[in-house]
Amino acid sequence: MKIKIELYGASRDFSSQNSLDLNLDNNSTIKDIRNELINYLDKKFSGNESYKKIVNSSAFCSENNNIVSDNYKIKNNEKIAIIPPIGGG
Amino acid sequence: MFHTKIVNSKDSKLLITEAENFISSSDFGASIIFTGTVRNQNNNQTVIGITYDSHDELVIKSFEEIYNDADHKLNIKDKSVFIEHAKGYLELGEISIIIAVACKHRDEAYVLSRYIIEEIKKRSPIWKKEHYANNESAWLKGNPIVHEKN
Repeated sequence: MKIKIELYGASRDFSSQNSLDLNLDNNSTIKDIRNELINYLDKKFSGNESYKKIVNSSAFCSENNNIVSDNYKIKNNEKIAIIPPIGGG
Repeated sequence: MFHTKIVNSKDSKLLITEAENFISSSDFGASIIFTGTVRNQNNNQTVIGITYDSHDELVIKSFEEIYNDADHKLNIKDKSVFIEHAKGYLELGEISIIIAVACKHRDEAYVLSRYIIEEIKKRSPIWKKEHYANNESAWLKGNPIVHEKN
């Protein structure tokens, strides 16, 4: 299935676009997104460790604006936002 | 009374007068206006500006949750609160956040103002990219988001 990862904060450096399109197996979870993003960073940025650290320390937000846990099951065509460590104000 | 907004710097600036007007009421005897502004130094680097990024919907939701939590956790029910945060590029000295609160008494106003900014730091998905005098820029590290509901 196809999903869109909306990029925020430091994760915007992962792409020149505002989002990344991923192809995942049906019934995939947030944990699978983390793994797929790590694979993407390995290929695209030769495993840039600081980028991978961002993925591992990020939360994820569902299309209905809830922070979801690693076992959250993603729907087909769902937009998921990556929420790197925050610091506004 | 409650107002929240994310203000894109391309469209407009955060204005203290709007916050003052919003919280002004003879129901309240104490008001505090807190502003955060862009500072010229951080981590021994000369900062020339900051780009703010925001997940707008989740930020507004977090502001609403923080406002409602003030009812339960602080037991401050009579209040007026105005929160605006900037997104986009800000120059030195420009306002990135306004938190204006009005309460019946000063103790409540001080507690509420401090509570809101500290919770925003922990719970609102906003990011800063600092721009330096040497033409480099960097996203600040930040802390993992704290969320109370799954």
